[in-house]
Amino acid sequence: MKIFITDGGSYGFFTAVFNAYNESACVITSDENVQLSFDSEVVRVEADGEKCARVQKKIEACDPAAVDDILLVLRSCDSLKEQIAFEYIKRLIEKKSPISRAFNLPEVIIFDELKNKVTNEVHKMTGFLRFMESDSGAFYAPYSPDNDITDLLMRHFAKRFMNERFVIHDVGRKIAGIYDGHEWIMSYAGEAEIYLSEYETVFQTLWKKYYKAVNIEQRPHEKQMKGYMPVRYWKFLPEKKI
Amino acid sequence: MIDERKLEILTESAKYDVSCSSSGSGRKNKPGGLGNASVGGICHSFTPDGRCISLLKILMSNECLYDCEYCPNRRSADVPRARLTPDEICELTINFYKRNYIEGLFLSSAVFDSPDRTMELLCETVAKLRKVYNFNGYIHLKGIPHADGALMMRAARLADRMSYNIELPSEKSLKLLAPQKSKQSLLVPMRGLKEAMDGDRINKVRKNRVLPAGQTTQMIIGASPESDGQILKLTEALYRNMDLKRVYYSSYIPVVKSNKLPSVGAGLLREHRLYQADWLIRFYGFNVDEICGENENLSPDYDPKCAWALRNMQYFPVEVNTAPLAMLLRVPGIGAKGAYKICEARKFAKLDFDNLAKMRIVLKRAKHFITCKGKFYGSESQSQIRASLMLEGARESQTQLSMFSDSSTALSVLTGEL
Ligand code: SF4
Repeated sequence: MKIFITDGGSYGFFTAVFNAYNESACVITSDENVQLSFDSEVVRVEADGEKCARVQKKIEACDPAAVDDILLVLRSCDSLKEQIAFEYIKRLIEKKSPISRAFNLPEVIIFDELKNKVTNEVHKMTGFLRFMESDSGAFYAPYSPDNDITDLLMRHFAKRFMNERFVIHDVGRKIAGIYDGHEWIMSYAGEAEIYLSEYETVFQTLWKKYYKAVNIEQRPHEKQMKGYMPVRYWKFLPEKKI
Repeated sequence: MIDERKLEILTESAKYDVSCSSSGSGRKNKPGGLGNASVGGICHSFTPDGRCISLLKILMSNECLYDCEYCPNRRSADVPRARLTPDEICELTINFYKRNYIEGLFLSSAVFDSPDRTMELLCETVAKLRKVYNFNGYIHLKGIPHADGALMMRAARLADRMSYNIELPSEKSLKLLAPQKSKQSLLVPMRGLKEAMDGDRINKVRKNRVLPAGQTTQMIIGASPESDGQILKLTEALYRNMDLKRVYYSSYIPVVKSNKLPSVGAGLLREHRLYQADWLIRFYGFNVDEICGENENLSPDYDPKCAWALRNMQYFPVEVNTAPLAMLLRVPGIGAKGAYKICEARKFAKLDFDNLAKMRIVLKRAKHFITCKGKFYGSESQSQIRASLMLEGARESQTQLSMFSDSSTALSVLTGEL
C-alpha cells in the first residue's frame, strides 16, 4: 500500500491529496505520525503551491467553508488526522455539495469530532490560560495544549489585551505567539527565562485565597471540577499548584 | 493594595449567590481600552464544588442594616465585617483580568449606611472601571432594593447585567424571612430596567445600551414551604413579563440557626430538577402547566421531560425521519443538539437506529418513544418503560450528581439541559 508522507504542514497535505486522489488504496500521514508496515510503499510529498491551490479550489467549489474546517482538523493532535481529512475530502468531492452536517456518514462524524475537539480546546484555553507579569511589564503565559492552537488564541487575546505586550508559549511544541501592542507574530521558542514583577506573587496569592474562599465546602464535587478542568491543564494554573 | 483577610471575608459572604455567568454581552474593546466580553461567556476555573469561576464575585461590604433571617451577614449576626473602597475593587479587578483569571466583575453589597449610599458607591466603582481604567470586560451588578431609581439607571448604562434577587418565592415568605424587603422593592426596579431595555431596542440604540446582557434573578429553594409548581409559575411569569435572561435556584444551605428556618438543607436533586424544568420552559416550548401542577412537586424519580412523556403516551412513538423539530425536542433523551443533528442528517438520508447510535444520540430512554423507518425498538409495556426510566433516573441522581464521567453530563447538571 502506498503511504504519502508530508512534513506536517497544510501545503504538504493538500499536495498529498492531489497526488493520492486517484490511488485506489493509500494513506496520507506525516513524519510525526507515520507507522510503516512490511508492505508499505513510501512516497515523500514535497509541498507544491500549484497542486495545493488546485485541490483547495476543487474543495471550495463543493463547500466554501470546507477548507477552513480542514485547516482546523489539521491542528488536531490525533495521529490519523491527515487520513481523516483525506477521507472527508474524497466524500465531499464525490457528493459535490456541503456534507458538514451529513451525520449519517461515518467520515463526517469522525471529522466533525476532531474539529470539535480543536475548537473546544481553543474555547477552554481562552479561560484557562494564565498570564504572569514580568518585570518589564509584558505578560507571559506558558501552556501545553493538546492541539496546535496558539495562533487562534493570539487572535482572541490581541483583541482583549490590545494595549498590553504579551507572549503565549506552547512549551510542548516550542512555539510562541508574540504581541508587541500592535501586531502579533508566531515564532520558535525553546526555554524562556522570566523575571517576575514585584507584584506578581502578591496577585497570585490573592487569587489563590479567592479561589479557596469562593468554594462551598459543604458541597464537594471534585469529579465535576475535573470533568470541566482536566487535571493535565492544572500545572499552569496558580490556584491548582500546590 | 487590598488586604487578604478582607478579600476572604467579602468573598465568603458573596459565594452563595449562584450566578456567575459572563454570557450575553458582546461588548467590544476600544482603542486604549482593556478587555471585551464574549457572548457565550467563558469559564476561567472550577472550584472543588464543581462550580465555574467566571467573574470576580465579591461584596463591597458585608455590613448590613437589614436583618434577613437566612443571611449570614444580617445585622444581628456576629461575624467579622469588612468594606472595600471603589479603588481597591478596581485595582483587584484589573489585575485579575490582565492575568486572565476572570471575565470581569460581579459586584454586590450588603446595605450599609443607607440603600442610596450603597448604590452610589457601587455605581462609582463601575463608573471608575469603565471611565478611568477603560475597562470593557464584563460587569454584573447587583441592584440594591429601595435605592434611588436614577442611580439604578446610571449603573444600568455602565454594567452588562444587573440582578435584583427575588430570594423567596412568595410575598408571605419574604415578609417572614426578609422583612425589610418587599415584592415591590424588587419588582419595581426590575420593571424599570425592562422598560429601559425595551426603549433602547425600539429606538435602535447601539452605544451605551442599557444592560446588553439583560437581567437575572435568584431564588432560594427549600428555606420556605413553596411547592415546585409555585416556584415554576413565578419563574414563567418572570421570563414572560420581565424578559429575564435567567432565573437561578439556590438550594438552601443552613448556615444560620433560626427557628423560622428548616434545620436541613434542600437536596441538590430538587435544585437540579428545577433547572431541568426551567430549561424545558425556556428552550423546548413547554408551559409550566404541562410540567408541574400548581401545588405539586417535580418527581424525584425521573426528569420532568420523562415525566411529561409518561403522562402523554398518546403522542408517542414519533417517527424520527418525519417528526417536526418541536416534537423531537419532547422525546426523552433527545436534547437540543441531538434534535438538531437528526434534522440535518435526515435531509441527506433516511435514518435508522444504527445511524442514531453512531451520531451519539443516547437511545436508552429515547428508544421507547421513537420509531426509525417505521421500526420500534422500545418496550411495548408501559410498566416496563416506567421501570426502565426509573432505573435510569435513579442512576442519574446518584451518578450525575456525585460522579461525572464526561463533561457533557457535567454541563447538563449545571444548566439543567435535557
Ligand atoms: S440585605 Fe438581607 S440578604 Fe442582603 S446582606 Fe443584608 S441581610 Fe443579607
